[in-house]
Amino acid sequence: MKGNSRTKATLLAVSAAVLLCLFAVPALAKDTLVVANIYDARTLDPIVQNEVATSGMCLHIYDTLLALDQENNLVPMLAEKWEQIDDVTYKFALRKGVKFHNGEPFSAKDVKYTVERAQTPVGSAIRQYSEVVDKVEIVDDYTVIFKLKAPFTPFLMSLSHTWGSIVNQKAVEAAGESYGMNPVGTGPFKFKSWNKGDRIVLERNDDYWGKKPAYKELVMRAVAESINRTIELESGAVDIAYRVPVTDIKRVEENEKLTLYRHLENSTSYMGFNCAKAPWDNPKVRQAVRLALDNVGMQKAVFRGTGRAPNAPVAPSVKYSDKDIPYVKRDVEAAKKLLAEAGVQLPLKAEIWTNDYKPRRDLATIIQAQLKEVGIEVEHKVLEWGAYLDGLQKKTHDMYILGWVASVPDAEFAISGVLRSTGGSNYSFFSDAEVDALLEKGKSLPDGEERAAVYKKVQERIHELAPWVYMYNEETFHGSQKNVKGFVPSPRGYHLLTNVTFE
Amino acid sequence: MFKYIARRILFLLPVLVGVSFIVFSLLYITPGDPARMVLGDQATEEAVQEFRNKEGLNDPFLVQYGRYVYKAIQGDIGRSYMTRRPVSDEILSAFPSTIKLAALSMVIAILLGIPFGIISAIRQYSLFDSVTMIFAMVGLSMPVFWLGILLILFFSVQLRWLPSSGFDSLAAMILPSITLAAQSVAIVTRMTRSSMLEVVRQDYIRTARAKGQKESVVIWRHALGNALIPVVTVVGLQFGHLLGGAVLTESIFSIPGVGRLMVEAIKMRDYPLVQGGVLYIAIAFSLVNLLVDLVYAWVDPRIKAQYK
Repeated sequence: MKGNSRTKATLLAVSAAVLLCLFAVPALAKDTLVVANIYDARTLDPIVQNEVATSGMCLHIYDTLLALDQENNLVPMLAEKWEQIDDVTYKFALRKGVKFHNGEPFSAKDVKYTVERAQTPVGSAIRQYSEVVDKVEIVDDYTVIFKLKAPFTPFLMSLSHTWGSIVNQKAVEAAGESYGMNPVGTGPFKFKSWNKGDRIVLERNDDYWGKKPAYKELVMRAVAESINRTIELESGAVDIAYRVPVTDIKRVEENEKLTLYRHLENSTSYMGFNCAKAPWDNPKVRQAVRLALDNVGMQKAVFRGTGRAPNAPVAPSVKYSDKDIPYVKRDVEAAKKLLAEAGVQLPLKAEIWTNDYKPRRDLATIIQAQLKEVGIEVEHKVLEWGAYLDGLQKKTHDMYILGWVASVPDAEFAISGVLRSTGGSNYSFFSDAEVDALLEKGKSLPDGEERAAVYKKVQERIHELAPWVYMYNEETFHGSQKNVKGFVPSPRGYHLLTNVTFE
Repeated sequence: MFKYIARRILFLLPVLVGVSFIVFSLLYITPGDPARMVLGDQATEEAVQEFRNKEGLNDPFLVQYGRYVYKAIQGDIGRSYMTRRPVSDEILSAFPSTIKLAALSMVIAILLGIPFGIISAIRQYSLFDSVTMIFAMVGLSMPVFWLGILLILFFSVQLRWLPSSGFDSLAAMILPSITLAAQSVAIVTRMTRSSMLEVVRQDYIRTARAKGQKESVVIWRHALGNALIPVVTVVGLQFGHLLGGAVLTESIFSIPGVGRLMVEAIKMRDYPLVQGGVLYIAIAFSLVNLLVDLVYAWVDPRIKAQYK
């Protein structure tokens, strides 16, 4: 009896506690924008990591000298005016009256410090952008001159990447090694708090020099499970959810309280050949495999009609993408003929490697089936990401599926890292003197028709030699509440939220 | 007693050295280059080499391990490659969520498991017993991610009572704790039941009943104390296990705990963080075991007499 009443009391207490908690959940005011991201930023130091969650936060805390608009045109940020003096010298007139979040005034010495810091080992992850700069000269407090080591046309555009976020020497040195948790910029938002793995909270910088955001706080939550991002969106707990999975887009689209956004990414995924290994070193064999595959059809099937099958290595949203290269139609007989011409003994055994990403696994399965028809027996190996990259460097693979992001939307950044013989991620070990020479030329030519012609030629040459069979340009989906206006996602993968308003 | 505790804590040292050596070796032979993982696919070859030199990854294995142990003795277990924060800070920031989740689900497991187990045992073969055992079976064999998603669908999507992710309010902790507790409840229930069944057949219980003792006193005072020892062992093991993080539950509910931190660190080949994390788990597990042994002494005076 006694035990019974005690149980009852406990039950009552527990239910009371539960009810209390339900009411204790704070109601979100309209001046807070809550966004569900796919994972937490790794640091808020703009040069320690080169990945989208970090860049997405730095974009709001810091300003760069220049920014890109939707059409990839340069627009002024901390640099009000800029001019190219000769092919390696650029002069910037800096904005006056800008203050860092710690109260320090912004001036030319901050620009110099930012670039020099980026060139130390702290900035290994963004070295590919900073290494082109030879030195930064201070002319006066509000004028700087950048001298490059060699002519590099996409330089101005690369300054819009978050590696170029201007930092303040005092703030960096005061925070020491913990700067990544104590960022200080000149941007529209100030850092407020960070609950690691859960959320980062930024608050509006009321002294911002530019257009101030319409809301007070930006809360970036890390919601790793894609199902949960959709659920949080549907239940109204978040205003914007990044990367709604393809399986959920219908639910978001048909929900009258929600808006769906879609855009192609600045990336191209491909099936590459190991051009350093027989028989793949023979372009005829590569062309034969390409002929044996229906890449357009498999892209459609695997991505359920979203995204796009690429025709060229440079994604369509990137500058100098060649839209004229024709798609290769599947032709099994022609493929067999080419293989015979190349003197390949059939059946040929080969491996295709992918990491554990469902669309890539599915593509590999289809490739396996289609290549069997021409007498190539493919074994599919799925590798964990770290082991995959490690394996690719050992040059033992035959074929593999991988993607490449043009982190700066210029053809140079879309090709040189992967298809130039010296490229750091050239896992197809493709090496062609003509492509190398053209890329070297394209890097330094001023923007215009001549440069466009060079990249057209590069893409045609790559198409001819077929180191890759193009697989997909992925389309990304985001969702928001209907009352959220002014959210414009970017093909770069990280999105500016400063212009978002609530209706 | 204190001598005993001190000795047990001293025993931790060889355990830690052994664990760290094994982890170090495993990471060393695992394919994957931390420099490439950390710097990203856009990094140049020179940057990769620069990183490897800076972190001493080009040194021979024993030099690297020796340096790690030497620094660890001075209290420095390194900085995460990914975030550049001290490993101890990374673990400490994930620790509160993990310990809350583990403690809450153990409380649920004990509050439900022990009473259910006792009642099932004293009413063996009754309807209550059968139903409890069926539920225990289901709870034990139900995959965590499946239960978690079902709970989210029902309580977050349909009823909109509870949040589906996060861990910042008590309301948000309810679903993850229940999800994680399901298996522990089942294990504790079954353990309590079988242990009770064994004890109530002992001679001294018959004696207690024969001398006319009230049934509730027989069960609570004479039987339960002895029946609890194996239960304490199981609860201790479960708790130690949960302190190492519950990857699935943490992922489903987006909880920033130790489990997710470790999986992410392993994926990104963040060596210092993996090593630090495993050391933390080893310490947590050892301490919980020590605690379990002390609880034995409290439950059973015979064992207490052995702790000198």
